[in-house]
Amino acid sequence: MPYLVRSGVIGAAISPCVEGFQHSLEEVLYEVTQRALRDAGITIEDIDGIVVGGNDQYDGRAISVMMASGPVGGVDRDIISTPSAGEHAFVMATMRVGSGHFRTHLVVAWSPTEADSLAEVQRLATDPYFHRRLPQDEFGAHAMQANVLLSKMPELGELVRKISAKNRANGAQAYPDLVSAELPSYDARRYPLEPGLVSAPVNGAVALVIASEDFIAEHGCKDVAWIAGQGWATEAAFIGDRDLSQAPALVEAARQAYAEAGISEPLSAFDVAEVADTSPYHELLAYEALGLAPRAEWGARVADGSFGPNGTLPVNLSGGAHALNPVYCTGLIRIAEIALQVLGRAGRHQRPGVQAGLAHAASGDAMQYNTVVVLRRDLQGEVR
Amino acid sequence: MSQRVGIIGLGQSAFQSRRDDASYPDLVREATAIALADAKLELDDIEAVVYSLSPDTMVGIGNAERLGIDAVGARNKRFLRINTGGATGISSVQAAYYHIASGACDVVLTAGADKVGECGDSQTVLNKIWDPTYERQLPQGTITMLAMSAVRYMHKYGMVEEDMARIVVKNRHHASLNPNAHLRKTTTVDQVMASRTIAWPIKLFDCCPQSSGGGAVVLASEKYIKDHKLDAVWITGIGHCSETYYLGDRMGRGFTADHADAYALGNAIKRAYKMAGITDPKKQIDAAELYAPFSNTEFHAIEAAGLADLGQAPAMLREGYFALGGPTPVNASGGTLCTNAIAVTAMVRLIEAAQQVWGRAGTHQVKGAKRAVASGNGGDHQFFGAVVVEA
Repeated sequence: MPYLVRSGVIGAAISPCVEGFQHSLEEVLYEVTQRALRDAGITIEDIDGIVVGGNDQYDGRAISVMMASGPVGGVDRDIISTPSAGEHAFVMATMRVGSGHFRTHLVVAWSPTEADSLAEVQRLATDPYFHRRLPQDEFGAHAMQANVLLSKMPELGELVRKISAKNRANGAQAYPDLVSAELPSYDARRYPLEPGLVSAPVNGAVALVIASEDFIAEHGCKDVAWIAGQGWATEAAFIGDRDLSQAPALVEAARQAYAEAGISEPLSAFDVAEVADTSPYHELLAYEALGLAPRAEWGARVADGSFGPNGTLPVNLSGGAHALNPVYCTGLIRIAEIALQVLGRAGRHQRPGVQAGLAHAASGDAMQYNTVVVLRRDLQGEVR
Repeated sequence: MSQRVGIIGLGQSAFQSRRDDASYPDLVREATAIALADAKLELDDIEAVVYSLSPDTMVGIGNAERLGIDAVGARNKRFLRINTGGATGISSVQAAYYHIASGACDVVLTAGADKVGECGDSQTVLNKIWDPTYERQLPQGTITMLAMSAVRYMHKYGMVEEDMARIVVKNRHHASLNPNAHLRKTTTVDQVMASRTIAWPIKLFDCCPQSSGGGAVVLASEKYIKDHKLDAVWITGIGHCSETYYLGDRMGRGFTADHADAYALGNAIKRAYKMAGITDPKKQIDAAELYAPFSNTEFHAIEAAGLADLGQAPAMLREGYFALGGPTPVNASGGTLCTNAIAVTAMVRLIEAAQQVWGRAGTHQVKGAKRAVASGNGGDHQFFGAVVVEA
């Protein structure tokens, strides 16, 4: 990691699906924050700074970090928010610790589903003159991307069902109380995202604790998911300006992260990966852009189970967003899942002996924002 | 220690009530183009962009930063957005600073814009920042919120309405010298006192305008600046701190911070001063650009910046301490009181502070300014950021 100060994740907590409304959002945030702090073996008093990711429109508030500040411990602390994406809170926090100005950071993101409806909320994020009248929401944009891929490669229709089955089975193993191995009943009504290929949005929250190398040494943290590299990049503003069959921003984000981590052969560099998989089409696109499998090999890799739970590189052992999709924080959950794998605390879906993991988060219309994070169990490389 | 970070380009609009000639992304591009020209760079030279945007509802587009991606040339680049309400502009500058201080990047742009003058009624939008069950129904607004602060400050320190009016007179005079300011007409204490009451003791002239326009800053590492032989001023101190969300926690028994004062702003500025090695701000600060959207709030901001002892700012204002030509001019640009495009208002504070120490502030230049402080306030007087900038 070429940052001034090396840092790692020392704790994480995921609430991938918060059922019902028995608790206020403030209580949900307090609970997930305290779980992450306990997982890290520290208290809020040890936290120097906080970055949160919340979406005003989903929350039904303007400046939703205001509400979040108290429950996550923001009073009298340096707290900011990255409303562009939950995962952007992670990269921002890593830079803040990496600058040497902070020794620790808390990162929190959340995604309620109380807005009626999320599709209408998402439609407000399109330009007011052209796309808003279509109407275009995120599932609609994801479906257009899937359709472009399908039109170029008709054989994907069969492939995506196999990926869906893999991720459903992974999700049922990881979160048996929340995920059924059977096809989800959700119907996005966006061709070609047929019933079973996407999950209904759920409530969720996630928190991670990042600490500097000296804090980790001082506190004797035994398990650390060292941040070896991170990259983030965005696609163009207008979906019409993009070739949706490609993911150049993800290619760039991966290039940044791999360069920082010194990775030239990504397929053999990781023990586990979590990638953005709002639909299986997007998991396939991620395979290619992350350098794991060019599209010519997609069929073979799915057939031989390379990315299955017992493959050479298990992808989405948690089931991914395909199994549980708290839309706004599902990206940060991908990073938290990999952090827990590297820490050895992923629970029912822990892969034994994980030394390195790859996390890919995407947000916005048709994977507009892409973030790639490389986490390792051992500290490697020189500081800048 | 982290590497030095310099400011190499500044851009801001000439702020107005409306900009019917420019869409929201157009305003972002306008400021970006000015800042890039100032830095003598092209969009391709920028490695990362920090997008400065407070409530989406102000521009009527959810996640409106997505529409600004091309305006800042961020396609296939590092891009993220910051929001801390009114403090967003200075929080974004700090976020850009960390991109460089960490070693992640060498050249970073932060930019944004707002169309507050075209949102209909900003107070209706800003009512939505409060808790939907309790405070939103009052109905609470940022004017009523800070009127309560004014009443508390009056009770605690003896401020009178004429003191508030003197702030307006000073800042309007300063703004009359600043071609980028929105409200540029000078006024008098009598005119301020005669303006209609909005939320006592705040009157119309005690209030900031609803402005439209953009702001942008280009930051770079010391190495990049030296390698490319660029002119720069330097960020030597940064700080950020937050108060409680619920206003009731700042009042009555057991309050965590007194609503008369700006406790967390004071902490943010102290952190920035500590980093910059400033121990006596009354002597060491040459100019201050302090976020104060209502006249009364400039007093507690001055005190939080250590330019006056608690409760002493009104008396010092009467003696001319904070006017252009005084010992420590505050808001020589006219400040937030004369220009408030919320998403970039706190960034404009930093831009104006940087112009001062660069010696490029033109007719509102503070003579000989070498060190300045800028601040930003956001949320319900909840999030505060401060930056010290030096020649």
